[in-house]
Amino acid sequence: MALVHKLLNGTYILRKCQLPSATSRLFLGPQFADYCSSSLHKPVAVPDKGGSPQKTERDLQGHHQREVALDITSPEENPEVSFDKAIRDEIKEHFRRLKDDFVNHWIGPEGRPLHEILLEQAKVVWQFRGKEDLDKWIVTSDKMIGGRSEVFLKMGKNNQSALLYGNLSSEAPQDGESGRSGYCAMISRVPKGPFERKKSYDWSQFNTLYLRVRGDGRPWMVNIREDTDIIQRKNQMYSYFMFTRGGPYWQEVKIPFSKFFFSNQGRIRDAQFQLLLDKISSVGFTLADKVDGPFFLEIDFIGVFTDPAHTEEFAYENSPDLTPRLFK
Amino acid sequence: MSWSQAILLARGLSRGWGSICGAALTGAPFSQVPPQAPRGLQRSAATHSSDSSLVPRPPEPRRGPIKALAPHEELFEQAPGGERDKASFVRTVQNFGQHSVRKRGHVDFIYLALRKMRHYGVERDLAVYNLLLDVFPKEVFRPRNIIQRIFVHYPRQQECGVAVLEQMENYGVMPNKETEFLLIQIFGHKSYPMLKFLRMKLWFSRFKNINPFPVPRDLPQDPVDLARLGLRHMEPDLSARVTIYQMPLSRDSTAGTDPTQPHIVGIQSPDQQAALARHNPARPIFVEGPFSLWLRDKCVYYHILRADMLPPEEREVEEIPEEWNLYYPMQLDLDYGRSSWDDYQFDIDEVEEGPVFAMCMAGAHDQATLAKWIQGLQESNPALARIPVVFRLSGSTGELLAATPRMEEPPPTPRQSQDEEENNLHQQQQGQS
Repeated sequence: MALVHKLLNGTYILRKCQLPSATSRLFLGPQFADYCSSSLHKPVAVPDKGGSPQKTERDLQGHHQREVALDITSPEENPEVSFDKAIRDEIKEHFRRLKDDFVNHWIGPEGRPLHEILLEQAKVVWQFRGKEDLDKWIVTSDKMIGGRSEVFLKMGKNNQSALLYGNLSSEAPQDGESGRSGYCAMISRVPKGPFERKKSYDWSQFNTLYLRVRGDGRPWMVNIREDTDIIQRKNQMYSYFMFTRGGPYWQEVKIPFSKFFFSNQGRIRDAQFQLLLDKISSVGFTLADKVDGPFFLEIDFIGVFTDPAHTEEFAYENSPDLTPRLFK
Repeated sequence: MSWSQAILLARGLSRGWGSICGAALTGAPFSQVPPQAPRGLQRSAATHSSDSSLVPRPPEPRRGPIKALAPHEELFEQAPGGERDKASFVRTVQNFGQHSVRKRGHVDFIYLALRKMRHYGVERDLAVYNLLLDVFPKEVFRPRNIIQRIFVHYPRQQECGVAVLEQMENYGVMPNKETEFLLIQIFGHKSYPMLKFLRMKLWFSRFKNINPFPVPRDLPQDPVDLARLGLRHMEPDLSARVTIYQMPLSRDSTAGTDPTQPHIVGIQSPDQQAALARHNPARPIFVEGPFSLWLRDKCVYYHILRADMLPPEEREVEEIPEEWNLYYPMQLDLDYGRSSWDDYQFDIDEVEEGPVFAMCMAGAHDQATLAKWIQGLQESNPALARIPVVFRLSGSTGELLAATPRMEEPPPTPRQSQDEEENNLHQQQQGQS
């Protein structure tokens, strides 16, 4: 049994490397898992849930406690380590998920009745209302390749939104091959089913991505990655830009999926294809605007919806100069 | 295996043949060979081409932190006395043409010039890029037969041409017809620089105007103008008015008697003014900040005047009187039978925050400056005189170190901070009475 668990864990780490980022091909290595936000936040999530009912009032004390709890793991949070118990729990958890899968399948797709899903016009995919929502995300920066940028993800002051903040530095790492550097990214984890089977989102009935954010005037890039088993396609993604306004007001960003352009290994491909929405594995945000300095981005929630006024299928035509084979 | 070897051999041979021909014609390929490695003509051509086909390497491995004097560095040092502008850069590039008529080492020179462009402030100048491309000899690197067309003809020169275009891309310079003409003249229609040019032409025009919140390329130097631009940029309400509460006074004009007076520029919309007039005087309002705003590569800081969110029991719903208009009902209670297929609302409670009443940008981020802003606001908002104002500033002085000002709370201990806030409150009330 232990062997099975180890195998599962192994595949888990390997799969993590396939997460989207403009330069994720540079992260091939198991140390990628060390920088995940979850490893920091996970142990804190449980004790904090009990003591955070003071949401609306801006209680300084409560806020202070939360701040501290984020950075340091409290000493009593060191439970006895028992491998047998951990393995047993893990296996139980997976079988529970498997059971849920079967039961949900009986009710309908994703465990909801079919008519509800078919009639749905707007759907919240990610929201940030608690620490456990942060575990669905990974933050990376060019520290992975030796750069100096740093990025952190935590809950906002009122515990109602996620705050992605950090410092961008475009100083290139002195490793002899990188000429440029400076990116920070936040990537959603690939949803996992029982026994670490990867799942995907089906957004084929929606046509617009919706984000409620508040930024500081910097441009971000929104990357969507399709779920694929083909190894040659693991660096391919679809991207578009998200411009933040800055200022104290929340901002609603609506990006039609038809605007997303196709890129491979961070380079725009000549032959452009439409983003197919039936198997979406993850969404990411990248900041790489070559401006050194602090940044922040607050995210309320991320959803998809159908815009009946939007009929465009794909925004980019192919050029016969660049891709003559498509015009033969 | 043998087939691929044959291909490699063929490529190497053709390169070697091409470069030998080229050497015979212009001597240009030897510009890539470092001058400290003198080798025979045949040998150097052969080895150079073979390892270039096998190992993809950056065009100039010698670049980077190592302070080796690059060839043609002296041309840039000769640029007379200190001033570094477009004219001197253009003169240097033209000097290169006179300096070596055969344009020996022009690839090195172009790489060097690309690196120097930032120092001369010409990195966004299209004319300079065209001038750099003009350094390439014309018609020499164009493939003349089918073999040359199949294999990359003059790869180092093509890489250099791509590097010029790539730097243009990085600085957002859109190539024009002259660039296209030069590239066709230098490398021909089917070449890598030309491919790069086509891609740039296609994608630059697509993404040129997608920013819904545009910022001008050249930001104003004057801090007041910059503050005005930043405030207009942040405020979605177009009817908002920008007020300059205090003009900056430099130390020179006041002859040292007065301390430096920072600028204070604020913005407030009529709606915010009305909301502030309606505000319950029993509840304090807060000056928060500084928050950062990026305008291209410039970071400015702003403060906001805001209130906490009202508890739900105090929120008054504005009701339109029923009999306001006899002919058209103002309220319709009809149930249109909207079912879930017509529901475009997200099933989530959006984050709500207290209302923002005004924003300001000031030259200093201390409380004294911001108190002046509040005093200035009182002229247009008489209700502000009755409302206590609490300062919640994250940094005490103008120096801002916080990466996320929004999240930073100043106090080392919460108890003390509350005292401070109360003190501020008293001070403010004393100041008002």
